[in-house]
Amino acid sequence: MKVKRWKLAAFLLPCLLLFALIYLIPLGMVFGSSFFEWKAGGVFNFIGLDNYINAFTNDPRMITALKNTVIWVLMQSTIHVGLGTIIAFMLARKMRGWKVLRTIYMFPNVVSAAALGVIFLNVFNPKYGLINSFISQITGNDFVKNWFFDQNSAFITVTWSWLLYTGMIIIIVLAALLAIPEDVLEAARIDGATEMQLNLQVKLPLIRTTLGTCVIVAATSMLREFELIYLTTQGGPGDLTINLPLYLYKTSMTDNNYGYANMMGVVLIVAGVITVYSINKLFRMNESDY
Amino acid sequence: MKKKLTLGSVLRFLFLGFFVAISVGPLLWVIMSSFKTNKEILSNAFALPSSWAPVGYKAALEMAPIGTFYKNSIIISVVSTVLNVVVVSMAAYVLARHKFRGNTFIVLLLSMSMLIPTASLLMPIYKIMTALKLLNTRTALILVYAALGLPTSLFLFRSYFQGIPKELEEAAYIDGAGFFRTFFTIVFPLAKPGLATGAILQFLTSWNEFMFALILTSDTSVRTLPLALNYFTSQFSFNYTAMFAALTMVILPSIIVYAVLQEQITSSMVDGAVKG
Repeated sequence: MKVKRWKLAAFLLPCLLLFALIYLIPLGMVFGSSFFEWKAGGVFNFIGLDNYINAFTNDPRMITALKNTVIWVLMQSTIHVGLGTIIAFMLARKMRGWKVLRTIYMFPNVVSAAALGVIFLNVFNPKYGLINSFISQITGNDFVKNWFFDQNSAFITVTWSWLLYTGMIIIIVLAALLAIPEDVLEAARIDGATEMQLNLQVKLPLIRTTLGTCVIVAATSMLREFELIYLTTQGGPGDLTINLPLYLYKTSMTDNNYGYANMMGVVLIVAGVITVYSINKLFRMNESDY
Repeated sequence: MKKKLTLGSVLRFLFLGFFVAISVGPLLWVIMSSFKTNKEILSNAFALPSSWAPVGYKAALEMAPIGTFYKNSIIISVVSTVLNVVVVSMAAYVLARHKFRGNTFIVLLLSMSMLIPTASLLMPIYKIMTALKLLNTRTALILVYAALGLPTSLFLFRSYFQGIPKELEEAAYIDGAGFFRTFFTIVFPLAKPGLATGAILQFLTSWNEFMFALILTSDTSVRTLPLALNYFTSQFSFNYTAMFAALTMVILPSIIVYAVLQEQITSSMVDGAVKG
């Protein structure tokens, strides 16, 4: 069947226009203007690599934001994915109530991240929060700690709001585990594999690419993380919990320093490409075992 | 067969129980607190409310236009989902079915959008919307959201179209149906399950999005539900009951809809992550 070219073009055009408007043109602007001093009030001068040089030699805030982002990407790729995978393996035994548990673990993920941020702000509230009340109840003493705004606890409290909520990982890994053909497992059992060996030496290697997908989902989510920080600590106290998206937001929307903000955009994009590429390599995502 | 109570099973129970507690605990506490008075909230976090009268809900509805936020969220999510599904499915169909020069290039170009952390495009998108005079309109959010789901939808739809046998379309052509009619009356209905998956994901993305809503809108008349919460934390800073009631009104519908449609939503999320 031969279809006229203009008809094909007509079908492609709306999608390409949308892509150009929201991705391609912005991408060009981000890369291009990262070499300019571009500020509110019509300041627009070519300054070469100055934004980049400044960021890495002269801006402690940028270094902190970058460092936090990397730490969170690493924690999310390992601890978050690890916990979710362990829970998925437990649920895959299909004990009584496994479906209910799967549903419950997804609750924090289906509520919007913005709502979750406000919930955590209350849960960790020093005056009436759930955590302080819980500790007071157990110890019998009045316990007061301002979790989100205390130097010592801010980072770990912000991290809590995403690290332990692994619902997404659980459903992805669980789907892969339940899709493993029963005869493969049966063969291993006949060969005398224990339940532990079955999990570690048969199932885990079989879901390798799925785990890779999970690590990509988890790692890239940390390159996007914005609302859970914005609605709780705003990056504080000081710059203790700032990350790249939040710093970028503040630089462009509060300081109106557009060129500098777009330099951060380039750093984020490069970080994203490196992250996805290395996880692809690490998990040999393009190779199939079957 | 009766299971023995071993150390392993006790540990497993505690481990899974801990995650149940941190997942449900805060949500139940929010809902319970929405019925308590300020004094009750401050005195004991675990006590049940003395009355279940919806005082906080009345106060919250009087203090913030939650109805407007809901309306905006529904309009924006529905329109951006329809836009995404129609526009992306048309492109995905051409890219899945028709060989022409540049096909692979277009697929590669479009898939590039998957690699970009969207926060990096925040400032240019703000400038573009300002230039198009779309700042502070629902249209701006509809366009941005439809694009956010573009890569995921594209891959879901393309692989779905590739799985539909060609013979049906060929038969339609022989019967004299044109290209457009074949797509909208034969292919589109056949691809419903695949399109539904993309639509569910697209709707969830739009419904929950916060950052672009924050920067692209400023009036309560066009703002969406996730932003309502931002508004509550400052507005209701001394009326905890109303704040908890507002939170409940935001989270409860999501949880109920998820609980009811969980099979479809769960499989969509898995498909979206694995194929997208």
